[in-house]
Amino acid sequence: MKTFIGIDIGSLATKIVLLSNGKMLDHRTERSTYDFKKIGHKLFDDLLEKNDLEKSDVFVMSTGYGRNTIDIADDRVTEITAHAKGTQYFFPDVHSVIDIGGQDSKAIVISKKTGNVVDFQMNDKCAAGTGRFLEVMAHALEVPIDQFGDLALRSNKSASISSTCTVFAESEVISLFARGASKEEIASGIHRSIARRVAGMSKRIGVGPKLVFCGGVAKNPAVKKYLEEELGYAVETPEFPQLTGAIGAALIAETNNSHKYS
Amino acid sequence: MDDSSLLSEFTLFLKEKKQEGIKVIAYLAHDNIPEELIDAAGFFPLRLIFGGNDELMDASHDFLPPSTCAFAQSCIGLFSVKPNDYKFLEMVDYIIVSNHCVSDICVSEIISKYFNIPRLNFYVSYTINENSLKYFKLELQDFRNQLEVIIDRKISDDDIHNSILKFNNFKKKFLEINELEMLGSEKLKLIHKSMLFGPDFLHDLENLIQKVKNAPQSVSNTSKDVLLTGCSIFINDNMIDLIEEGGGNIVFFDTWIGNHYYSQIIESNLIDRENDPLDVLVLRFKNNIYGDHSVPDFLEQKVSFIQKYFENYKKNKGRKLGVINHIIKFCDHISLMSSFLKETLQEKGIQVLNVERDYSRANRGQLSTRIEAYLEMMK
Repeated sequence: MKTFIGIDIGSLATKIVLLSNGKMLDHRTERSTYDFKKIGHKLFDDLLEKNDLEKSDVFVMSTGYGRNTIDIADDRVTEITAHAKGTQYFFPDVHSVIDIGGQDSKAIVISKKTGNVVDFQMNDKCAAGTGRFLEVMAHALEVPIDQFGDLALRSNKSASISSTCTVFAESEVISLFARGASKEEIASGIHRSIARRVAGMSKRIGVGPKLVFCGGVAKNPAVKKYLEEELGYAVETPEFPQLTGAIGAALIAETNNSHKYS
Repeated sequence: MDDSSLLSEFTLFLKEKKQEGIKVIAYLAHDNIPEELIDAAGFFPLRLIFGGNDELMDASHDFLPPSTCAFAQSCIGLFSVKPNDYKFLEMVDYIIVSNHCVSDICVSEIISKYFNIPRLNFYVSYTINENSLKYFKLELQDFRNQLEVIIDRKISDDDIHNSILKFNNFKKKFLEINELEMLGSEKLKLIHKSMLFGPDFLHDLENLIQKVKNAPQSVSNTSKDVLLTGCSIFINDNMIDLIEEGGGNIVFFDTWIGNHYYSQIIESNLIDRENDPLDVLVLRFKNNIYGDHSVPDFLEQKVSFIQKYFENYKKNKGRKLGVINHIIKFCDHISLMSSFLKETLQEKGIQVLNVERDYSRANRGQLSTRIEAYLEMMK
């Protein structure tokens, strides 16, 4: 029996999963550094060691921003195809996916008939509407990133953040403080601006229920809540929202190569 | 031959022209500029078909806001920076100020005003009807007059006829590129060189086309065939590399730099020396159904053209064809029509990738992901 590894090298986090017979056996997540290769190798070696495997026992499919730079990969796939497949691991009847990662956000529509991607949309090169935007804003408000969403949800009203550029939005936050807005209100406004931007982009390609929200930002409860308000329907989040890309890559590796090992 | 070698070769070629006393008239290479008149007057028509980069776009911001078409920014940047490969721009004697789009007007006006290059005017109508055909002929007459003032003699009808025949024959040969079995990037190099050197390249073009016909170049069986529409891929632009690295191969260039130019062929029997040669050029304008926005119902015609090409390709080659709509950022009319084009073609079962970008290096990763993901969808 061959085992399959999916490694998703994102701009902020690197995720790796071990999979066999369609079941995830193990996984790791660690912050990406400038040295994609180093962090990828570290997670890969650790996963093999803990599961008593050799490199020759596994087939590796890479995805994500650094998919082309990691030399342990036997094949590669884009994160768009990988997320579409990975969300089906948790929700087989998924129609649409919104993935908000560190550097970009994506909306994907999946064919109910084939399970394949039929359309997708990605944000522009700027960081607005991504995890990076949230990080910069959390830093400006001096709030730990893992508490940022909860802080936003403590407010009944949202300050209006009109800038779509991360740099300008940071200045806008400072001027909101100067005008007496509370930290909670500003945090709520920041989360709403991401949700509005991503929902707008997603509607252009006809996303609809069942919609699965994944990527690192899906762990943030405020973005999820505001996305639901912007879209007008409930949004599902998988058990491991950050892992869908890596799981998808491993599933694709298994589908494409399992015949070689049966 | 890489783009740098092409530009070096072109620099030498242009130097020779100048040594022969031939003056150079530059213009943004839209499909309705009457290059035949330029040639008949004894000038060399230089198409500005060069892509950009961060430095060139930045340099243009002294003259234009950053929200101007990225190609327009780069054209200004080229005249402002004059990078080593582009020293030949110093040999430009005149610039045509025209109005294919707002950026065309801005670029040509700015180049003339701030880089001290005398201007020639040639304005075109955005529609084709009886009135616009009359107007086009008046513009041709006016343009002919402007050229005659410079050369201080009349341009004979015979000279114009000869130039029309020369460009027409060149385009006929050029059109054969569409059918060649070769990698898209190689095809594009041939298109670039042909459009840069013009009919002087005819003999070499004939030989190269024959060479490929005798020994078709192998293209990987696993690559995905793509029709490129929207904005052109200009010289020194890595867009085609991104497509090929992602596993795609452009088999047809439905763009300004490509089929829109060389498909403008006039039937030989209509080039009659008894008639006014300007009427032949009016006919070319009238028949320019591939032009980007000077045709009524342009979008419908474009959709119909792509659909027919797609169906024929599937029938004749037995292969699926993808469509990439290339949008250079802030190219207003290509951007505006992109959603309609995508929706309409997708309703007809043709998957389309709208890919919008400028010439910045920073978006290379995201562009690759979009292109690769689209090609994965085609599997």
